[in-house]
Amino acid sequence: MTTRILVVGEVQGSRLSGATLEALGKARELSPGTGEVVGFLAGRSATAAAGEFGRYGVPEVWCANDASLDAAPVAALAPSVTAAAEAAQATIVLVGGTTFGRDLAGRLAVRWNAAAATGVTEVVPGDGFLRVRRPVFGGRATETRRLEGTRFVLALRPHAFPLPTEAPANPTIREVASGDLSANLRAPKRTGVEPVATGAGPTLTDAATVVSGGRGVRSPENFPLVEALAAALGAAVGASRAVTDAGWRPASYQVGQTGKAVSPQLYIAVGISGAIQHIVGMVSSHVIVAINSDASAPIFKVADYGIVGDLFEIVPALTAEVRRVRGL
Amino acid sequence: MEIVVCVKPVPEAETRLRASSDGTALDPEGVKFVLAGYDESAVEQALLLKEAIPGSKVHVVALGPAPRTEEVLRASIALGCDLATWVDTGSVPLTDPLAVARALGKAVAALPHDLVLCGKQAGDDESGLVGPALGELLAVPDFGYVVDLRWDGARSCLTFRRATEAGLEAWESPIPCVIALQQAWNDPRTAKLPAILKSRKAPIAKAVLDPPDGGSRSRSERFELPPPRTGAKMVEYKTPQEAAEKLVRILREEAKVFP
Repeated sequence: MTTRILVVGEVQGSRLSGATLEALGKARELSPGTGEVVGFLAGRSATAAAGEFGRYGVPEVWCANDASLDAAPVAALAPSVTAAAEAAQATIVLVGGTTFGRDLAGRLAVRWNAAAATGVTEVVPGDGFLRVRRPVFGGRATETRRLEGTRFVLALRPHAFPLPTEAPANPTIREVASGDLSANLRAPKRTGVEPVATGAGPTLTDAATVVSGGRGVRSPENFPLVEALAAALGAAVGASRAVTDAGWRPASYQVGQTGKAVSPQLYIAVGISGAIQHIVGMVSSHVIVAINSDASAPIFKVADYGIVGDLFEIVPALTAEVRRVRGL
Repeated sequence: MEIVVCVKPVPEAETRLRASSDGTALDPEGVKFVLAGYDESAVEQALLLKEAIPGSKVHVVALGPAPRTEEVLRASIALGCDLATWVDTGSVPLTDPLAVARALGKAVAALPHDLVLCGKQAGDDESGLVGPALGELLAVPDFGYVVDLRWDGARSCLTFRRATEAGLEAWESPIPCVIALQQAWNDPRTAKLPAILKSRKAPIAKAVLDPPDGGSRSRSERFELPPPRTGAKMVEYKTPQEAAEKLVRILREEAKVFP
């Protein structure tokens, strides 16, 4: 079976998102033959952004140049991605597992009549099937799933795959119609976006590094200690439920069962004891560091590296060392 | 407003995970299944809307094996849902998310549905495919990662926000549509004892899965638990500066995750 892969591009500013690039890298690895990986872009700036695919060696980009798609729900993209997948004779559609990609995947799988999986961390193609690995139960277990058929939609877990190297090409642009969107897909309106409260830093679920503070920080006035370490690392700031329940930081900071689930490359827990409530939200992080004054805190059971000590001494020293090493 | 809320029984969060004897799934022996996380938020949202819009009804729909599926339906009725439908999968849970969506879609299509609510994903398989797939199957728009869902009666539209990587998007949408909810940032209600007792006798409509495997095109081949964490490697130090230097060196040279 020839593996022909369509990568759906998500654009941030004028660049492809990190999740899209990771998907593109994986697509190239799955289909080393030339010309077997094609791109897809939608919206006002589709054609302009096609060069971004070209930077990574994609020879053909399908564009739905319909400005109304920019403010439409993700669902409105399913018809044009389906049309592009059909026209390009794709066997796999890959998309980064962001909120965009995951919302698109389910819709697309029905419309294109494909088998699908999300949160994918490994892909092994077979004859008439694909085998994928994906974390389940909040990262506390891993499932190997066999998808049957000749059409597959996969949303890849962010940060699970490396970024591709550049290999400049001049892609051919192919137009694809945005499809006859039913009136009900045109009716919903996005009326605004309120940027994430953390300002310049990366978002919690998107960040490669997360620094979270807990009850051990003792008061809202001390929380900037945690934020300074995060800033030095270019990390997102999180918090345990104790912190958000006490109102030291907004609920949107909360990592855990009733908050956000994160899986960064590096997670640093500062003054967090490690209640199961918190653990399920961060245990799938690649490397976990815990800083706590209590050597018997349960957080040290799930951490890879631990420092037992006074966070009010350790964290400022760590911030200074990080700044020194990163040349800040 | 006719509201349909789709829920799924999942193991409670504190469950100690074990693989089944054939190694392909969670061993359900002794596991307590509950209405959890995102689904609890979906039920709470449905009830808040019902209270805000006179004449509304909430119909809860769940798919899965006995007895866990019936239990979460009764739990939803105890919380305030009016009617329940159970898509019975026999003794085996259906694990292909799209087969689940097709079976649920068929059940929902047979009910009046101005608004279909579900959790953005389930806490066991973490797929998040069912909500968007339901939108396509019912030929209505779908929105994922939704918080703050309200009904604007004057303008006859839903208003809500979506928690995306870029921030909180504000949206307006007419009905019908499918909304997949993020965990509520407010506390879902708990059922009162008289309601729990009453829910035990509530009628539950049954739908049959056809074909028996729901047309599944994926199956789990292996369910693995990570090797037990051996506990943190502790950084030994005399001064905070030494601790900081050692940790940074470890993160750069050993763990290779220093940004």
